[in-house]
Amino acid sequence: MQSVDLEIASGEIVALVGPSGAGKTSMLRLLAGSLLADQGDAYFEGQRLSRLDAADLREVRSRIGFVHQDHSLVPIFRAHQNVIAGALGQRSFWAAARSMIRPTRSDLDRAHRLLARVGIPEKLCLRTDSLSGGQQQRVAIARALFQAPRALLADEPVASVDPTRARAVLTLMKDVARERGLTLVASLHDIRLARELFPRLVGLRAGRVAFDAATHEVDDTALEELYRLDGQALDSDG
Amino acid sequence: MDRHPQEPTPRGLILIGIGLFGVLAALLLGLKPSGLVPNSGGLELAREFFAAALDPAWTREPGGLTPNPTPLLPELGLAALRTLIFAAAAMSLSILVGLPLGVVASDTWWKRSSFASARITAAGRALQTGVRFWIALMRSVHELIWAVVLLAAVGLNTFGAVLAIAIPYAGTLAKVFSEMLDEAPRHSAKAFEGIGVRPLHVFLFGLLPRALPDMIAYTAYRFECAVRSSAVLGFFGYPTLGYYVSLSFGDGRFHETWTAIYLLLALILFLEWWSTAIRSRLVS
Repeated sequence: MQSVDLEIASGEIVALVGPSGAGKTSMLRLLAGSLLADQGDAYFEGQRLSRLDAADLREVRSRIGFVHQDHSLVPIFRAHQNVIAGALGQRSFWAAARSMIRPTRSDLDRAHRLLARVGIPEKLCLRTDSLSGGQQQRVAIARALFQAPRALLADEPVASVDPTRARAVLTLMKDVARERGLTLVASLHDIRLARELFPRLVGLRAGRVAFDAATHEVDDTALEELYRLDGQALDSDG
Repeated sequence: MDRHPQEPTPRGLILIGIGLFGVLAALLLGLKPSGLVPNSGGLELAREFFAAALDPAWTREPGGLTPNPTPLLPELGLAALRTLIFAAAAMSLSILVGLPLGVVASDTWWKRSSFASARITAAGRALQTGVRFWIALMRSVHELIWAVVLLAAVGLNTFGAVLAIAIPYAGTLAKVFSEMLDEAPRHSAKAFEGIGVRPLHVFLFGLLPRALPDMIAYTAYRFECAVRSSAVLGFFGYPTLGYYVSLSFGDGRFHETWTAIYLLLALILFLEWWSTAIRSRLVS
């Protein structure tokens, strides 16, 4: 990624769009502090991520929820264990270990409430690998919410879910972000869903910001330009 | 460079090489199929032995110290139980030793955090190499050799028999566990690292659970192997099923030999059923 200048205000809802290899995932990892820039810097709530030591960086990361494309849940865990795992980074060593092995009543209640919020309260005690792809993605959202995060990042959160359920999952993410005042940044493959549901679009192409505007200001020409296949793109793909 | 379709590929050459190596080994050993044809006495013995398979004994055949027929099953049943108990004790010990050794021998354990300082990694490397060597040492000596050594050292001691199985099994478990940990999917661990989870917790709750189903299935299989090893230790005089196999075979009481063999078979089949049940629960 090169000369990227991006500022996202607290509580904003933003979609990252662009062709494969444009740098959407790298951008999210920079924002999450799991990738450090070799030039320039990323800030979260005023904290310069590259200046933090390992413990402080962990603390910052524990306040950022992350929903991955797939597979990030532990398949043999019960749904509630995966949800409660969201708080692992925020607890003392023994409290964290105990919450995985013998969760407290209040943890279970909270996990149950969050699973109810994402629409699958009845799955609380089921094995995660017995759930469908869409249900697993809802567990992942509940896990991110269990962190009580300040921001929610999502890397292609609906790439492995069918189109109808994709809209439902994205709407859910947007709604929970709104009601909790969370910043939501999601990378999306499906430009139609991004335009339909997200008020701000950031277009990335070849590691640069191609456009950054309110959705209604982004016209078809800008999008065609964003996804245009040119000689260079073909070269770098092949 | 284009390769002619008829030209052997490197993979083909390797296969041919393995085949040639097998032929060479057979020639060096002087293997002749004619050597497997028994002489007339041997043929008679073999016929008698296999005929007894259809008619396993329910009572001890009279003779020697027991002039009257005595029921056989309670005694052999007890031996089967002892075979199982020896194996269970050996497996428990192997897991206790093999699991921590396997963790330390894995690469995953040392690379579980991208923030580990180089100094720790260098010391870790040394420890890891040492542990890997130790594991190889435990594994390279077969349980029967350990049994001979321990028999000479501590006599016909129960704990000696358990140790004889546990030492090589702990080594094998450690080696396989470390490979399973290294090959387990990384997604959950990465996700945990991304939300600030401590490296040890990333390992315990993000990585270990991904390897656990394979590790448990393999342990169940090794338990089956341990039952066979435990039975064979009977040949050294430990009171497991092998003891009765060797004693009755030596005395020519083949019907009793088959009773012991069938009990061993039943034991193995039971374990197979049990481990399949465990596996199907883990893979849901």
